[in-house]
Amino acid sequence: MSTAPIRLLIVDDHPMVADGIEAILEGYDDLEVVGVLCNGQEAIDQVETLNPDVILLDLNMPGVGGLTATEIILERRPETRILILSMHDSPEYISSALSHGARGYVLKDVPTEEIKTAIDAVMRGERYLCTGASGSLTPEPTGDREPLTSREQTVLLQLAQGKSNKEVAAELDISVRTVETHRKNIKRKLGISSTAGLTRYALEHGVLQGTGHGL
Amino acid sequence: MKQILSRLHFSYGQKLFLLATLPLIGAVAAISVVVALQSQELAEREVRTLESQLIDVKKQELKNYVTLARNSFYYIYGNAAPDDEESKRKVMQILAAMIYGSEGFFFVYDYEGNNLVSPRQTDMINQNWAGLSDSTGTPVVDELIRVARSGGGYHTYLWPKPSTGEEAQMITYVTSFPSWRWAVGTGVFVDDVIKTVAASKSEVEARVRRTFFYIGGITFASLLMVFGTGMIINVRERRLADAKLKSLTQRVFDAQEEERGRVARELHDSISQILVGVRYGLELAKKRFANNDPRAPEAMNRGIDSLSGAIQEVRRISRDLRPGVLDDLGLGPALKALTDDFSTRTGIETQFSTVVFRNRLDQDAKIALYRIAQEALTNIERHSGANHVTIDLRGHRSGATMTIADNGHGFETARRQNPRQGLGLRNMQERVEQLEGSLNIQSAKTGTRISVSVPLTHLLPPETGSTSASKKPVTEAPE
Repeated sequence: MSTAPIRLLIVDDHPMVADGIEAILEGYDDLEVVGVLCNGQEAIDQVETLNPDVILLDLNMPGVGGLTATEIILERRPETRILILSMHDSPEYISSALSHGARGYVLKDVPTEEIKTAIDAVMRGERYLCTGASGSLTPEPTGDREPLTSREQTVLLQLAQGKSNKEVAAELDISVRTVETHRKNIKRKLGISSTAGLTRYALEHGVLQGTGHGL
Repeated sequence: MKQILSRLHFSYGQKLFLLATLPLIGAVAAISVVVALQSQELAEREVRTLESQLIDVKKQELKNYVTLARNSFYYIYGNAAPDDEESKRKVMQILAAMIYGSEGFFFVYDYEGNNLVSPRQTDMINQNWAGLSDSTGTPVVDELIRVARSGGGYHTYLWPKPSTGEEAQMITYVTSFPSWRWAVGTGVFVDDVIKTVAASKSEVEARVRRTFFYIGGITFASLLMVFGTGMIINVRERRLADAKLKSLTQRVFDAQEEERGRVARELHDSISQILVGVRYGLELAKKRFANNDPRAPEAMNRGIDSLSGAIQEVRRISRDLRPGVLDDLGLGPALKALTDDFSTRTGIETQFSTVVFRNRLDQDAKIALYRIAQEALTNIERHSGANHVTIDLRGHRSGATMTIADNGHGFETARRQNPRQGLGLRNMQERVEQLEGSLNIQSAKTGTRISVSVPLTHLLPPETGSTSASKKPVTEAPE
């Protein structure tokens, strides 16, 4: 047993849920709740100060949602273990959460002991998927190609517009190294080796030309 | 010119009206000009012909009179010597007596210009009129003598009418009695001919005017007809549109009410009942705690279990109303969830394929395409008899396209036109029209293929990049 308690950050826009979880988890000696925040942007801004081991992150929040927050937090502090806490039991949410880098997915309506179990599991470096209510919480492969994460899609669109790694890094406020990692992953997922190929791919799928001024 | 044009804003109807009337007016104007020119030319020719005919008749008449007169006293003239004054006197008397009509008379001049016979203007007799001209300068007596001496012929000049003294145009036939050195002739005033001609001219002009009037009337009637037809069509279209709108509104209201009723029933029948159960459980637990009854936690657990049931019910109702996946993750994952659910429920093998891009469609397009897919799957389940369905969603250079194909027995066009059966397809059509997209339905005995495309205007523009991800177009609604 480690001597230091697990540093836990709770992020949920519903005060009743956040407070309820905090109250329950404070009963465990090996857990320390270092903060309760109510949206993704706050989590991104404070993750480096609060230095949590595990973040219990709600999926649906106004502004920056859980998926986007997961990616950005991991860009800044890759060692953070993110455990998504959600009301949604669709496999699509679970596979999305995992592909965005979350270590686990727990439904809000499971018995509270299971939340503690999940925290312990991700702390040990395991992946934890809730076995609760739905029972069908196994992510299924969505089609032949691994989908891009939100961040990868953003990076791809920027690169396809002809921006350099450096420019993309500046735009997204991340390191050039992170951009390179994203770029590598994108190329692997799409099976495309050149940047020109990425631009062509984006053009052929209409995502570069979109005007978004539909009636 | 440009300024004027830009200031003229025509509605579609006005443009159509102009399109119908301008060529008509142009054609009528052209016809009018041609008719005017033609009829004027025709009239002039007619009048000229009439004039020359009438004058020819008069001339022939004059010649006959003179010939008649000459023959009648030829026996005197033929037997007389050039200086037989007795015979000359007799002939002059006969000629002086030969007056006819209201103005007709014979005249005689000798070759020197002395008037010998002038029964209606007797003051001219025995005077020399050589060198006499009419008011327009035409020589009269000298010319008559010249014509007579050259063997006889016609001469036209102005002469005072014996009856009124007014000058009028006169045609004269004159011949000679050479041995007596006489020029004998008679004339007739042709002002009646001129009057007749003028009358006929004015009649022709009146006819042309009448023709114009008819053309004008026909044009006006045609314009009225065009205008009237336009009005009728316009009114009819508007009424049809109104009726369509009314029935559409009614359908929207019906659908809304039906949905509200369903949600209210579900809330009341399932959730309220479960929550009531929770309340009983908790109250029981409270009572047992108060009595230090050891079964208190059991009642408590029953309440907690019921609450889980309530949460699941809410989740189900909310997902039925509008899947959160659609809003949070985009159309691709939502369709994936839909097809998985459909496949599990119906046992129809369903394949879904899409590209890696996610959430690039705007809200309207996402919802419309999702509802169309739902409708299509419902139709497949109920009517097609298919056992295999494929759904494909992808972006391309001109927008995004969703294709749903099954291997069922299709549906005939007749059934599509049946209002009851076709309601779903009409809903699809309307949704697509809202997006300015296109809907293509192919149905054969071997299966149905529905293809929906939306234009690039419904694809979100690539993010310009920002320091935070807060501009991300995904709308993540609070739970």
